[in-house]
Parts: sequence; C-alpha cells; structure tokens
Amino acid sequence: MTIDVPADLSPELNFDTLPPEVQQLKEEARTFAQEIVQPQVRQLDQAPAEDFDWDVVRRGHEIGLTRAAVPTDYGGLGLGMLGVATALEEVAAVCPGTALVFGATMLGQAPLLLSGDPRLQARYLPLFSGDEPVLACNAVTEEDAGCDLIIPANAPHARNVMTARRDGDQYVLTGRKRFITNARFAAFASVFANMEGSPGATGLTSFIVPLNLPGVVRGPVADKMGYRACLGSELEFNEVRVPAENMIGGEGEGMPINMAQSNMARAAVAGISTGVARGALEQAVTWAGERVQGGELLHRHQFTAAKLAEMSAKVDAARLLYLHAANTVDTQLPPPAYEPAVAKLFADRAAIDVADTALSLVGARGYLRSYGVEKMLRDAYGTRIYEGTPEVLALTITESLYSGDDAE
Amino acid sequence: MTVFSSSEMASEVFGRLFGVLLEDEQFVEKARRESLSVQLVHSKPDCRIFVSSEGVVLGDEVPFKAAITLKMTCDTAHALWMGRLLVPAAIATGKVRIRGRIAKVLELVPLLQPAFDSYPAIAAESGVGA
Repeated sequence: MTIDVPADLSPELNFDTLPPEVQQLKEEARTFAQEIVQPQVRQLDQAPAEDFDWDVVRRGHEIGLTRAAVPTDYGGLGLGMLGVATALEEVAAVCPGTALVFGATMLGQAPLLLSGDPRLQARYLPLFSGDEPVLACNAVTEEDAGCDLIIPANAPHARNVMTARRDGDQYVLTGRKRFITNARFAAFASVFANMEGSPGATGLTSFIVPLNLPGVVRGPVADKMGYRACLGSELEFNEVRVPAENMIGGEGEGMPINMAQSNMARAAVAGISTGVARGALEQAVTWAGERVQGGELLHRHQFTAAKLAEMSAKVDAARLLYLHAANTVDTQLPPPAYEPAVAKLFADRAAIDVADTALSLVGARGYLRSYGVEKMLRDAYGTRIYEGTPEVLALTITESLYSGDDAE
Repeated sequence: MTVFSSSEMASEVFGRLFGVLLEDEQFVEKARRESLSVQLVHSKPDCRIFVSSEGVVLGDEVPFKAAITLKMTCDTAHALWMGRLLVPAAIATGKVRIRGRIAKVLELVPLLQPAFDSYPAIAAESGVGA
C-alpha cells in the first residue's frame, strides 16, 4: 500500500503570509480578544451557567465574527475556513467559550452554504449582517445518539433519534437535542432528524428550523466544566411544522451533509484548540520569564526549558496542521475528511498537553481560579469532545488511509 | 447505459446550456467581477467545457487555467440539471468534485437557475433520455 502525497498543493498557501482579508480579520479578532474579552474572561468563566454576555458578542459581531463565512452578496465577509480558523484561534487564546459562540453560529450556517438554494440563503443569511448580533446553532447530538449520527456505519444502530415525517407541504419534527451550543438564543437551527420508518438514523435529513415556531422549547442550560462563556442547552421539538422547502438536500441525505459540514468545521475547531494551547503557552512563558528560583529565571533551568520547547513546538505544529486543513477545505468540495481530522486530533491533544504542562509550571498559583491557567485546562477538555472525539477522528483518518479515489 | 451516447452529443448539449447562462446578465456580471472561470470535466463519455464571462470553449484546449474545476460523470450532470439530484447531496457524496475557491463556487450556485430552467428543453431537443 502506498500513501499518495498530494502534488498539487494550492499555490496560494503560504505559511508566512495570509491573504489580506484573512490577515485583517485575524488582527481585528486579536484586538477584540485582548481588549474586549480579556478584561471579562474571569467573569465569563465564573458566572452562573445561565449567564450570557451579549455585550461581548456584540463587539465580536461588529468585526464580522458572526458572518465570516457568509457570502458577501448576503452581507458577509465571504471568507472560507482559513479566515474563520485564524480568527477563532485569536479569540480562543483568551476564551474558547467566546470563540465557540461564533464557531457554532457558523456551523449552523453551513448547510445553507452547501445548499445552493438561493431562496433559503436569501431568507436566513442576511440575518447576520444587521446592527444587532444574531446567532445560529447546529442541532445534531441527542441523549442516545452522539457518534451514531456522525459515523455512517453506526447509523443503522442509532436509537431513539428525533423523527421527521412529511405532511402535505410541511415536515413535522418530533424529538429532543442535547448539548447544543447557542440553542438558548439562536434564531434558527440546522436540525438533523430521521425520516419516520427508516431504521436508526439511516433516513437522517437536514432541515433549517426557525426556533420561534410553535412547538419548539428551549431547555435547561448545562452547567459545564469549561467553555462557560457559551451556553449549551437542550432543544425540544414537539410536532414542529417546518415548510418542506426548508429541507436541505433530499430525504435521507442528511448524513453526508452532516459529515461534509463536520469536515469543514474541524479545520476551524482545530484553530480553537490551537488557540487554547497558545493561550496556555503564553501564560507559562510569562511566568517562566519572571519567576526566579535557584538564583535563575525559571526558563533557564533545563527541565523548564525542555517543557517550554515541547509546548511551543506543539502549538506551532498544531497551527501548521490547521492552516493546511483549512486551505484544503477552502479549495475542495466535498470537503476532505483526512486533513481536518488530523488537524483536530493533533490540536485537541496539544491543547490538553500544553495546558496541563502550563499548570504544572506555574505551580500553586496555577491552581488558583484567579490566575486563569486552570481555566485553560478545563477548556482544553471541551474541544476533545465536540465535532468529533479522538476515537471518531481515528476512524475517519484510518478510513482515508485505506480508501482509494472514489470519484466516478 | 449512459444518458449521452457520445462525447459530441454531451458537448453539444452542455455547450448550449452554458450559452444560455452567458445570456444572463447577473451571472456574467458576477463572473466578470470575481474573475471566475470554470472548467467542467465530464466523464462517461469524456467531455470538457470551459466557461468564463467571455464565452464557452469546448474541448481540451483552454484559453487559461480555470479558477474552478468541476468533475462529474455526464449522467450525474444530467441528473443535476434535471433537478433529480440536488446540489448539496451531490457535493456531500462526492458525485461532484470541485477544486478552486470554494467560497466563490458556493456564491455562484444560486445564479445557475436560468440553466436549471433551460436544461430539460435543451436535453429533449437533443434527444437526451428523460
């Protein structure tokens, strides 16, 4: 077996220079993170679970973080995943929960972008370019079905999946989703439900569902270990009637659409993980550059130097992987599975490792909530869970290693 | 049994189809403004079409490298333009493979409606199977 090395890497990829519009959003996101989010980060993290800071979100909306991937014709910035991922790294270096507010909104927009349907796009995408911020969410996960809804081989075995049935010119949705970021406030959700009569999730179908429809209930907010600046909650659908034209693709075509948007999103999520790792590294570097022990600055001690070197290498490697993944996603449809999965797998692990080592280096102070390092470690575990666990990513990567070119 | 019996038949039908698209001012303006050019690489049978705001070119010779390349079989193209295969499913399942600036591709898709409207008649006139 040989593994093909791509010979046609995009000539536009330059690890030293980003496209101007991507660089601009990256810089604005960094300023937003440092000047707006940083002063609030402790409050955002330690507030009660139901609290949500719209002022912070509004400021992010003003620089375009709610519409980075929305086409310019609909008032968006028209950037691909490269722009999204680099901007979210900047925000996540301070607060990944805030980054995920915007990331989850973009994920909710993804089926609309893939739909090619001008009516649906014109109806929903301009919502994100108003004066006030509007959020979206992506509703996939359920009580009994998580990985079963993103691994095609698992679909026949999925249990108790939310259902959809056709009734005239409407679809009737019944079921419950859990752990949905932004569900508390989103204007609409991209919802994945299984057509009635189809076993498991084999009839998974994608719908755009306005969350002000009769029968939609926004459930309790989860009290999470990290990512506390964003809200994850339940969504209940009690015979919610959705226009048939709000279906994306056809009946039973939701699984490939879900996988395609996941492949797109993983490049950006790897950016968030890289941001977490970088934020932890920065705190460790600051500490090791100020703390004196044994008559020397901490970083001059070899044990510390070795740890900082490993941490820095992991952050840089994670970044290069997500840049490459984002570039491939931006230049190929369907979005590739391999590169985003590799990027996320590596970056998620790097975030935990770097945050853990940072906590160790900072010592007792790192254990205090007031210092902020322990927050980065709690946050690091979150990215490992959403948008593909390490196990799911491993299956995706391995499948790519053994699959040939399946183009017709 | 494929829908198109020959490369010439496929070229004739798809060439006419994109000719219709180039009569749409909105599409041409968008293509010109964004410097968009598309090469469609069809297979089974083989058929290549190059489209830009300047016109349609059939065959392997192209005026310059296209910004976007689309690959699909002629049967897939026929099903897409007939509305039997939907764009998101075609893309997500890999029946259509695209290389290029994807953000621009996704912006272009909604402007293809004149082609969707015209294709059934063009196909019928050329004797392409329903």
